[in-house]
Amino acid sequence: MSTTKTIANRAIKARAKATPDRIQNDIVSAKAIVDQEIVNNAIHHVAETEELSLADLPVGDISVPMNLWLDHKSELQARDGLVAVQIAADEFPEDFVEQYAEISHIVLPMVAHIDGRSYSHAYKLRTRFNFKGEIRAIGDVKYDQLSFLTRSGCNAFELPEGENLDVALNAFSEMSDVYQPSADGAPLIFSRRRTVH
Amino acid sequence: MGLSDYLSNLWDFTMYKYDAVDKAIVSDRVEQFRGQVSRHLAGDLSAADLAPLRLRNGLYMQIHAHMLRVSIPYGLVSSEQMRALAQVSRQYDKGYGHFTTRQNIQFNWPELADVPDILKDLSNVEMHAIQTSGNCIRNISSDQYAGVATDEIIDPRPYCEIIRQWSTLHPEFYWLPRKFKIAVTGATEDRAAVKFHDIGLEVVHNDSNQVGFRVYVGGGLGRTPVIGKVIKEFLPREDILSYCEAILRVYNLHGRRDNKYKARIKILVNAMGIDDFRDEVDAEWQHFKDGELKLHDIDFETMQAFFPKPAYEQLASGDDRVNKWRSLDSRFKAWYDNNTVDHVEPGYRIVNVSLKEHGVAPGDATDEQMDAIADIAEKYSFGEIRVTHEQNLVLADIREQDLLEVWKELDQVRLATPNIGSVNDMICCPGLDFCSLANASSISVAKQINEKFDDFEELYDIGEVKLKMSGCMNACGHHHVGHIGILGVDKKGEEWYQLTVGGDASNEAALGTHLGKAIAKDKVGDAIGDILEVYKDLRSDDERLLDTFRRVGIDPFKEKVYAEEA
Repeated sequence: MSTTKTIANRAIKARAKATPDRIQNDIVSAKAIVDQEIVNNAIHHVAETEELSLADLPVGDISVPMNLWLDHKSELQARDGLVAVQIAADEFPEDFVEQYAEISHIVLPMVAHIDGRSYSHAYKLRTRFNFKGEIRAIGDVKYDQLSFLTRSGCNAFELPEGENLDVALNAFSEMSDVYQPSADGAPLIFSRRRTVH
Repeated sequence: MGLSDYLSNLWDFTMYKYDAVDKAIVSDRVEQFRGQVSRHLAGDLSAADLAPLRLRNGLYMQIHAHMLRVSIPYGLVSSEQMRALAQVSRQYDKGYGHFTTRQNIQFNWPELADVPDILKDLSNVEMHAIQTSGNCIRNISSDQYAGVATDEIIDPRPYCEIIRQWSTLHPEFYWLPRKFKIAVTGATEDRAAVKFHDIGLEVVHNDSNQVGFRVYVGGGLGRTPVIGKVIKEFLPREDILSYCEAILRVYNLHGRRDNKYKARIKILVNAMGIDDFRDEVDAEWQHFKDGELKLHDIDFETMQAFFPKPAYEQLASGDDRVNKWRSLDSRFKAWYDNNTVDHVEPGYRIVNVSLKEHGVAPGDATDEQMDAIADIAEKYSFGEIRVTHEQNLVLADIREQDLLEVWKELDQVRLATPNIGSVNDMICCPGLDFCSLANASSISVAKQINEKFDDFEELYDIGEVKLKMSGCMNACGHHHVGHIGILGVDKKGEEWYQLTVGGDASNEAALGTHLGKAIAKDKVGDAIGDILEVYKDLRSDDERLLDTFRRVGIDPFKEKVYAEEA
């Protein structure tokens, strides 16, 4: 079999920046849901622009676009506070494999919740690149996306202003069973039935 | 409950029966949707945020009202379920339902606040509306003659059910670029149109007699009709879920999301080329192909046990009384000849139940008809009914000796119109009468054609013509693959119709050839008449319209239809 020509390792040769698939404005939320609990949040998610530089970054805990991380990793690592790294819907987790050992928090910004690419990103990060840190979905992420995002590998969420987080916690217990494996390691339904029949 | 009770309950059925897991999932899903609707009605969930959620529960907003599409997995429905559908139409709707080209049923008039209760009622008979709409994996469709077809190689139903369960509420593939349709066939003649699906599966044997699939990808109708391409000549059956998952992941990540008209997988496959697409899928597949998704022989055996061969009697072929009635009663003969099909078991026939009664919207059935067919199926056909992608119903296991009674009972509820496969057996979308996408009406044109061709002798002389009509270019009526296709278009606020000839959804998959410029609404019937006149003049021996067209091309048809203007 030939290796992939068209898509894989489209990589780094021309890194797109600030595409419409990326968040257009910084996101700062007062609260987050982490491991199904509501916590105070301190992370400032910095939006990507063509000219984004280190000088633009706020103090404190931040998340930065992957492009900024790739260009200025050592400076970012020298900062005080958390530096999480964003993987946008139109980026590919396999392009950044060598980065994950140095990243503790990955942020998946969702411009529109109907765009399902971040689900596959989370799945790959957990199952293929063995990423053990936090994977946080932000942006257009609401109650009704939380359970599937969790199954796909996310464990932290920031919901838009005005969403009721206490109510949203119900999302994690709505479905009592599933048919198929994802990043949650659920067994395939048929393998469970093998022992029954 | 002991094991024998469990088994005897199981074997009451000729179709899949839910276990505790299925029941929990469907019932949790109903309550989840009830919660979504009540959050919406309380003002906590906007209409815009509710929309994709309700769609994934089959609920559309149409011109006049909501429309609820209920899933009928691969077209199989029990008598008990059919009665429940009839009850839904009575209690919550206007006393009828519309069977669709993807073997589902739609109700056109439910109230939003009632829908959770409707879904609850349906869950009691192991039905749901999960993923009947929205950009996710839709109902798996298949051969309406599965298990009883004389040309069947392998029964597709266990594979359909396995794929149905894997694809239901798959967390990663719930927000695809666009809808995703999978069809499975296991027969020589493809009655499931697998080459016009996002993934089409033909169950086959390889040279060493292993069971597996020939896998097609990137077929579809809609605005850009494409015939599916072979991505895998032979995929061992144990790999079916992992391979589908690899296709879905590549599509989820690389399918276009900037333009919904270019978002189907067919566009991605065409843009990449099938060879590069195949390489990408194979590379993805290598990561997990031998993991948890790998199926075992016992999984197939267990699933096949849900589709046992019914308790057929040992019968001889042919029945004297039925043969005699065929010679005495021309109506019965017409029905027998057109609506019944050879069965794999001696002494049995497959009965097609026409939902194309003159003057009725194609695919519609009243509550009374649904109840009647449930009774007939229970009495004569092991309590099971199938829905066809041509919007008819099938009673799969009728003893020949019962045909006369079955015909009479069907006739009493106007379900014995002897027009299966004829010009009057149209596939037709709801069109402008119900659908918010449509440019033109379909149902009224269907009626016009019905009225023009009301002479059954003439219909039988013309023979098999698959006439398919869509009210807009989204092609829900599959016009591209009609032997005659009709597409409704809007021209400056008027309804016009474009005709094609020579489409074919079966093995020799082909898209229809354009006849010429669009035709005014009141002339569509005449144009169809002209096409059939040309056919009758030019046909040789027992050629069908499709065969004649393939031999002579579009020109003779074009000349006749547009002659008056020339």
